[in-house]
Formats: sequence, structure tokens, C-alpha cells
Amino acid sequence: MGERFIKQNVPFHLTHVNLMDSTDSGLEAISSEAGVGLSLPEMKSLQEYFKKIGRNPTDIEFQAIGQEWSEHCSYKSSKKILKKFVFGIDAPQNISVIKEDAGVLEFDNDHAYVFAMESHNHPSAVEPYGGAATGVGGIVRDVVCMGAQPIALLDPLFFAPLDYNKTIPIGTKHPRFLLSGVVSGIRDYGNRIGIPTVSGMVYFDDSYLTNCLVNVGCIGFMKKSELVHSRAGGAGDVFILIGGATGKDGIHGVTFASADLDEDSETNSRSAVQVGQPILKEPVIHICLEAQKRKIITGMKDLGGGGLSCVVSEMAEAAGLGAKVELDKVHTREADMAPWEIWVSESQERMMVTAKPENVQEILDLCKMWDIPANVIGDVIPEKKVLITYNGEKIFDLGTEFLVQAPLYERPIKLPEPNESEPEVAEPKDYNLILQNLVARQNIASREGIIRGYDHEVRAGTVLKPLQGQINAETHGDAAIIKPLHDSFRGLAVTSDINPRMCKQHPYKGAASALDEVCRNLASVGARPHSFSDCLNFGNPEKPENLGIFHECARGLGYVAKALGVPFASGNVSLYNEGLTGSIAPTPAIVAVGIVEDIRKTATSYLKKEGNILYIIGETKKELGASEYYAMIGAKGGVVPDVDAELLKKSVEAVVTSIEAGLVESCHDVSDGGLAVCLAEMCFGQENIGADIDVSGISNIRPDFKLFSESNTRWVIEVSPENKELFENRFIDNRIPVYELGTVTEDNTLKISDSKTMIIDAKVSLLRKEWVNGLNL
Amino acid sequence: MGKRVELMKTQDIRIVILRIEGTNCEDETARAFSRLGAKPEIIHLKQLLGIDVSEKNKRSLSDYQCLMIPGGFSAGDYVRSGAIFSARMKGALGKELKEFVEKGYPVGGICNGFQILVELGLLPALDETMPDSPTASLRQNDSARFECRHVYLKQENTECAWTKNIPNKKILEMPVAHGEGNFTLPSGLKEEQLKKLEENGQIVFRYSDVSGNTNAGYPWNPNGAISNIAGICNPKGNVFGMMPHPERVFDSWTHSAPGRRNVGTTGDGRAVFESVLEYIKEMF
Repeated sequence: MGERFIKQNVPFHLTHVNLMDSTDSGLEAISSEAGVGLSLPEMKSLQEYFKKIGRNPTDIEFQAIGQEWSEHCSYKSSKKILKKFVFGIDAPQNISVIKEDAGVLEFDNDHAYVFAMESHNHPSAVEPYGGAATGVGGIVRDVVCMGAQPIALLDPLFFAPLDYNKTIPIGTKHPRFLLSGVVSGIRDYGNRIGIPTVSGMVYFDDSYLTNCLVNVGCIGFMKKSELVHSRAGGAGDVFILIGGATGKDGIHGVTFASADLDEDSETNSRSAVQVGQPILKEPVIHICLEAQKRKIITGMKDLGGGGLSCVVSEMAEAAGLGAKVELDKVHTREADMAPWEIWVSESQERMMVTAKPENVQEILDLCKMWDIPANVIGDVIPEKKVLITYNGEKIFDLGTEFLVQAPLYERPIKLPEPNESEPEVAEPKDYNLILQNLVARQNIASREGIIRGYDHEVRAGTVLKPLQGQINAETHGDAAIIKPLHDSFRGLAVTSDINPRMCKQHPYKGAASALDEVCRNLASVGARPHSFSDCLNFGNPEKPENLGIFHECARGLGYVAKALGVPFASGNVSLYNEGLTGSIAPTPAIVAVGIVEDIRKTATSYLKKEGNILYIIGETKKELGASEYYAMIGAKGGVVPDVDAELLKKSVEAVVTSIEAGLVESCHDVSDGGLAVCLAEMCFGQENIGADIDVSGISNIRPDFKLFSESNTRWVIEVSPENKELFENRFIDNRIPVYELGTVTEDNTLKISDSKTMIIDAKVSLLRKEWVNGLNL
Repeated sequence: MGKRVELMKTQDIRIVILRIEGTNCEDETARAFSRLGAKPEIIHLKQLLGIDVSEKNKRSLSDYQCLMIPGGFSAGDYVRSGAIFSARMKGALGKELKEFVEKGYPVGGICNGFQILVELGLLPALDETMPDSPTASLRQNDSARFECRHVYLKQENTECAWTKNIPNKKILEMPVAHGEGNFTLPSGLKEEQLKKLEENGQIVFRYSDVSGNTNAGYPWNPNGAISNIAGICNPKGNVFGMMPHPERVFDSWTHSAPGRRNVGTTGDGRAVFESVLEYIKEMF
């Protein structure tokens, strides 16, 4: 057996990777020493390929394959399941969904919005500030490279509880440290590039202790005619690399993303976390969008996972063409970089464009005015190959199809068997205390301390803010609304949600409930669901039970989305989210976009006026499995809320048309904590407002189940007395359950009775105080 | 009574909206002017300095009747907010800028723009048009964090070119979004300079609560600024800076407070842009 890596006699670093002469154990050693993370079967299929062409790969070729074949780039474990359930939902608004870096959907006749979502979990667990900031940077590039101006950011985040007081494993950072770093990273990056962060969520669960989740979504907006594809223009065009220097940061980021975290991740993987520079990014956005407006570029793609390697081969492959690259033309930060390092580095703030030779100077001039480096690094060629030279030496020669066609797997699956048996739960004696404790729960309490740090108003298009109500007495809104055009009243509503506790207990219902909730959120503000994006965060797919959970979540998402006819625009799969304490709770985080026909006809979540009538839409069932109430009192099991997608569809329509008709004074969906928490949150948006409620008529279950059940497809809606009949008829006519709950009062108390017995009589100001301080940021 | 021959037409008013890397409120600021019929132009500082740009892209301050510096994080604001922008500007453009101001042309700064005007010395400019070094500063917020929230402002001066259309003592609602908006005067000279600002009528906006109380504390005053100052002008009234963002409430629908989002009304920020356009028409 020969050497594994054979050094070549050239004036720079180059080795040949000795696959041809290696035994199985040698192949495994090569994969591990080169840090590519390929499995033995994958290494053997590579060995076979290179034996067939009669030579060993160079290190740069080998690394490039490792990048392309990583889980992160290839979706090799998840693709077949996603195809079965989630992909391919046909809808008239689809312009380009799932296929490229971001989904493109129709906004109106002339305009489209672009929608993408991504995880940046492992980098954020090791270096929260930089990891989160570059997560934002990456998703913004995905949107810009379609030719769209980013107009909104969203960020679902998941940590262990902030008051976590058990021993923290070595190499893990305390959730408080992680949250503070991540939130600051998003804030400093998003605010500096001037894109409003309008929505998001923060969820706490023990399972995120060693593997926090940082998901980021971005919405962009453009004229349809300005759409640019992530593929090379045509043979004879040149590749221009625009933006930051290529350095040694972010090497093997995608491999790192496709492995479990362990206690050495801190020391071994810091080089996999890139450094973000928002003040480089901001001009890069200007340059790319300006160049696209002037029609001087023919293709554009951002450099993200896999660096130059993925961007060049994927752009060439998508166009059915090839690329010839002179790697010494790449502008590097460190002098001693090996060619393979340049090729796979994931340094931030870089974009690749292709352009006709006659337009190159204009692009370079534009870059110069903004002080942004730009270099022509190669040509688009007709042969379907990637050829690379360095110092005149040929170091890379592989077919594009071979490079980007990673093997797909059908790994063994073990489907979960959810436990929904009813626990014994004694009826509480003091409902006031239960409600007071519920509103202070970490997963319910006010997020104001985080939200205020994000500029959610820059670009001057944020019509509905994440916090709504009287100034300095605001409550949470259900969704934010952006008005992207100054001469049109059409709006985009955005929201995000997932309940990992539900997904843990019942993956199918949990995922379906997430779609139900984002649709409820959109309807609450008067928006019709228009597209979804998912960031599927799961554990190691090589464990059959994890893949079973993934399968069931995908099935739940597919069921609801198909019934609604709402497509998934784009998505991201993040597997191997395992820490020292096991897999994370299954977390298929959802971001949803809705269309508002007229932003002057929307609803907010806080109670408006004494004397108005309150209704609940939808059925309240004994569905307390995975509820905040059961979690708080320590009850296990119970039926997890199910989704009836047909009922959801018509309920959403009825709520939205009621808002459009001006019949709704306020509207809030019922979710975590159930009806009681929903009513409390609605009371929080103004001083001196309350409600007088009777829940006798809404269901026949015990009072605590009525108040704290988390059954889906429910809203509380405030209606002015003169609209009573008009409003009720809209629901009755469509056979949607609607029950009168009571009235809005001005005495700052929330009173709830059941069968003539007062069960809650709480001062709103006191509840509000608990809610505001619950998170103790 | 002088007889005015002809007023300048709104569509002839040219406003330069100046940006560098990290400026990020230029689009909405320009839009506020263009929606009122004027001609804003967003240009890079290098176009005024004549660096790295072709002949046809070069611009001169004298092409415009108004200079506006929008919000953002110019050059990242990693040093002091606005310090880099103002340093690049003052070196090569100082003389021209001073002349522009002394001729009475209006100069405005919003948020980061306000920070830049203070760094340039154009505000508060108690003793001269543009002293060599800054005489005030916008320090870190008292809360030590970035704050994005809506505030109430009380109009305290109707002489300023940028607020002349807003009735005295009117309460406006606007958003703030900044980490360094705490207007501060040099220690030792605080009382004296504050008095001078008052006497000169340089205090344009104060933070207040909904009823107009300008001493309502945090978060009504979101940053801890001395004397609850949210915006000031120079003694002449043509240079003006404010931390809140009027361009973000040009229309009623981006307001937040109940009762201000009414259909058919205009946003509270619009009057700032209307005022300065009217000032230009009257003056030039």
C-alpha cells in the first residue's frame, strides 16, 4: 500500500489522493484526514470512478467532490422523502419554486417576491455572534442572487431554557450566552445592511442545550423582468468574482454542518465559522442589483456552502455548460493558501456573476466606485467540464454532471409510535394563578426585549409591526405586513412558527399544526396564505427512528400544504443536529408569506373598545397533548391537536373576508397556552381595557381544558355590536363553528366564567407584568 | 413688502441624498421628496469628491438646493457613529459645504445623518457655521442597546426651515431606531449651552408622552438625551438634524399608535419634507 496523499512537485501545495491503491480502511482514513466526511460506500464509488478513468484525483478535485456530496449540499438523505410529500405543489403563483437558491412567486402582474430560508445551526453553537450574522448574510445573498432587493428578514431561534441550571457539558455554551450572541449577531448584521427584521420566534427546550438552532429567512422583491437565474449565461461569457477576499475561514463549513457536534467542536471547528462583514455586503447588494437593472450580467449566484467549488460547478451544470478557471486570479486574504483551500473556502460577502466580455469593464467600474474588489477568474466553456489551472498548471479536470450528482439514499426508516394516552390531571383550584404562571412561561412571555433590538422599520414599508398597540403598552402581533410598492396598496404578510414539543410527541400532527398556525397568523392580519418555506432541523438521519420522525413531519406538512394548494417556495434541510444529550426535538420551522389585497384593510391583535363583542372561531377540543398547560403542570401524554385542512381553508377565507369587509376590530389566533392566554394577550395592547367572558357554550369539556386546550384553527375576534349579524352569518353560512364569548370592558380586568361560576378574575396590569418579565433577558 | 416675481417650482428643486457604504435609508428618503414633486438624486460621496467615477457621474454641491444625509450605519459606525462619513466629507468638501450652509441652503440629517452633522460641527454650531471639531455628541443610549420603537415628539420651534409647516406644540408620532441617539453637550458647559440653544430657538423637537409632557422619562425619551432633545437646528434654522425617522411615517399606514393609522390622513413625517420644500421656494 502506498502513501495516502502523494505530494506533487510543483511550486505550490498540491497532492494526489491515492484512492486507487487504498484498502477500505485506507479509504476511511483518507476521508477523515482530508475532513470531507464521506462514508465508506461513497469513498468506494469514488475509487471505482477514478480507477475507471485511470488516475487518482488531485486534492482539490477530491475536496470539491466532498463539498458537493455533503448532506448540506446534496440533500442525499432527505430528497426522496421531500419529493414524495413536499415538493411539486402546483399553484398559479409559482414562478420558480424549490429549484434555485430561493423560490420566486408572483406578487402582481409586474412584480415577484423571492423567498428563502436557511439554517446556520452548527456555526452558531460554536460562535453564536459570527454564526448568526453570517447566517443572515447567506440568506440575503440567496435572495439578491435572484435579482431581488431584500425587504424583510425573519429568524426562528431555538435554545435550551435561559434558567438552565443543570451541569453544562464540556464544550457547550450556556443558553443565555448563545441567545445573547445570536440575537446580537442578527441585530448588528441586519440593522447594518438596512433590511428590517420583522418576524421570528424564540423557543426554549432542553434538547437544544448542545445544539441550538439558528434559522433565518429572507424575503426579496423585484420586477418580474429583473429575475436572474443561478446559472451561467452562455459559452464565451466570463466569471467575475465580486466581494470580499477569499480566506481560510469557513473551510469545510458544509462538512461541519453535516456532522454531529461534540465536545471538541469548539477547538476543531472554529475555522468552519466564517467572519461576517455587513459593510462589505451592503455595497455588494447595490452592485448586484444595479448591474442586473442595467442588464450587464447574464447569471448570478452567491457563494455560500462549498464556496467557489459549488458555485462554479452548479452554475455551469445548470446551464448545461462548463467552466475554465484560473484559480490564481482569485483575490485571497492569506498568502499561503493551497489551491484546494481557495476553492472550498466559504469566506463571506462574495458573489459570482457571469457576463459578456464587452460588459466586464462596466461591472468592474461599478465595483470600484463602491471600493469592492472584483476579478475575472475564468470563462464559461461549451464542454460540460470544470477545468482549473493554478500557476499555469492543470490541477482539476472533472465532468460537471459527475461533480454535482451526489448519490441519493433510501436509508432505513422506523416510524414513530406517538403516545396520546390521557394522563390523570386534577382540576386546578386557583385558575388565576395558573394563568398568571402561563403568561410568564418562557415560550409565551413577551419577546419585546429581543424585537426592539432589530430595526423592523427600515425601508419604511412596515405597515404592521411585530409589536402592536398603544405606544409603550404593545402586545405581540400575529404577523407583520410589508407594503413593497409605494404606488400600490397590495401587501406581503410574513410570519413564522413551529411547536417542537408537539413535533416531539407526534411528528405528523406537530408539523401539520405548524402550518395551521402560520395560516392562522396570516389570516389574523387579513392575509391569504400564499407560500411557505421550511427549515427542517432534525437529528442524525442514519438513525432509523430519526428518519422516521423526519418522514412523519414531511407527511404532515405535505397534507396541509396540498389541501390548501399553497406551495413550498424553498427550503433547507439541516440534519445531524445532535449534541451530547441526543437528538434535538424535531424542528420543521416554517415561514409563511401571505398576500394582503389592501393594506388599509387589516386587523391588529389588541382589544380596541369597550362594549364590543368577542367571538371564538373553531372548536375547542380536549387536545392538550404537548400543550403549555400540561408541560407546566408536568402531565405527560394527551391527545395532540389535529388539523382538518379543509376546515382550515374555509375558516381562513372567512376570517380574511370579514377583515376585508371591515367587520373585525381585532383578531388574534389561539395557540400556546390556549384561549385564556390568547384573551390575556389581546388585553395587553392598551391600558385600561379588559374582557368579560363566559365559556359555557364553546364546548362540553372541563373548564381548564376549555381554557388551555391548544386545538387548531381557532381565533378570537372582536366585533362592534352593529356588525354582529353580518359577522356571525359569514361563519354560520359556511358551517364554521362560531361562539359568542362575551364583551370588551374598560375596567382592566380579565373575567372568565363557566356555567355561572367565575373561574378567572385577574387584573390585566398584573398579568401584563408577569408576561413582560417572564423571559428575564 | 418685497414683491416676489416668481417662486421656484417644486419640480425644479434638486435635493442631493448623499450616501456611502452602510447608508441604508436613502431610498425612502428620496421617495419622500419625489412624492412631493421635487427632484431628489441619490449619489455616492465619491461623486461629489470626484474619485473613481467617470466625468458624467461627477456632481457638485452647487447643482442642488438642498443636502440630505439619510440614516444608516455609514462605514459600519464601528468608530463613533458618523465619524468616518464626516471625516471623508470635511477634508475634501469642507469649504464648499460651509458656503452652501452660509448661503442659506437647507441641510438635513436623519438618524445617522444627524450624527454626521454633529460630527461635522454643522450642529449645534452655537458660535460659528462649522467649527473645526464637534461641539456636541450623540452618545450611546442610556439603555445601552439599540432601540426600535415609536415615540411622540413635541414641536418646539416653528422657525426652522425643516419644520415651519408644523404648528407649534403639535404632538407627532415617529419611529426611532438607533443605538446612539443620546444628545449630549460638553460637561461643564451643559447648562450654559442648553440655555443658548433655548434662546436661539435651536431645539426643534423634544420627546414627549402622548399628552405632550416632555419630561416623561424612559421609554418616552428612548435614549436619555439631555432636555429630551430629539432634533435641533443651527441658529439660522437651515441646518437640521433629528434622531427619529420622518420618512418612515410619510403615510398614515406606517404609524403605530391607535387612532393615527386612519385611512385618508397623512403621516406625521410628511410635514418635514413639505416644510423644507416650501422654505426653498420662498428663499431661492
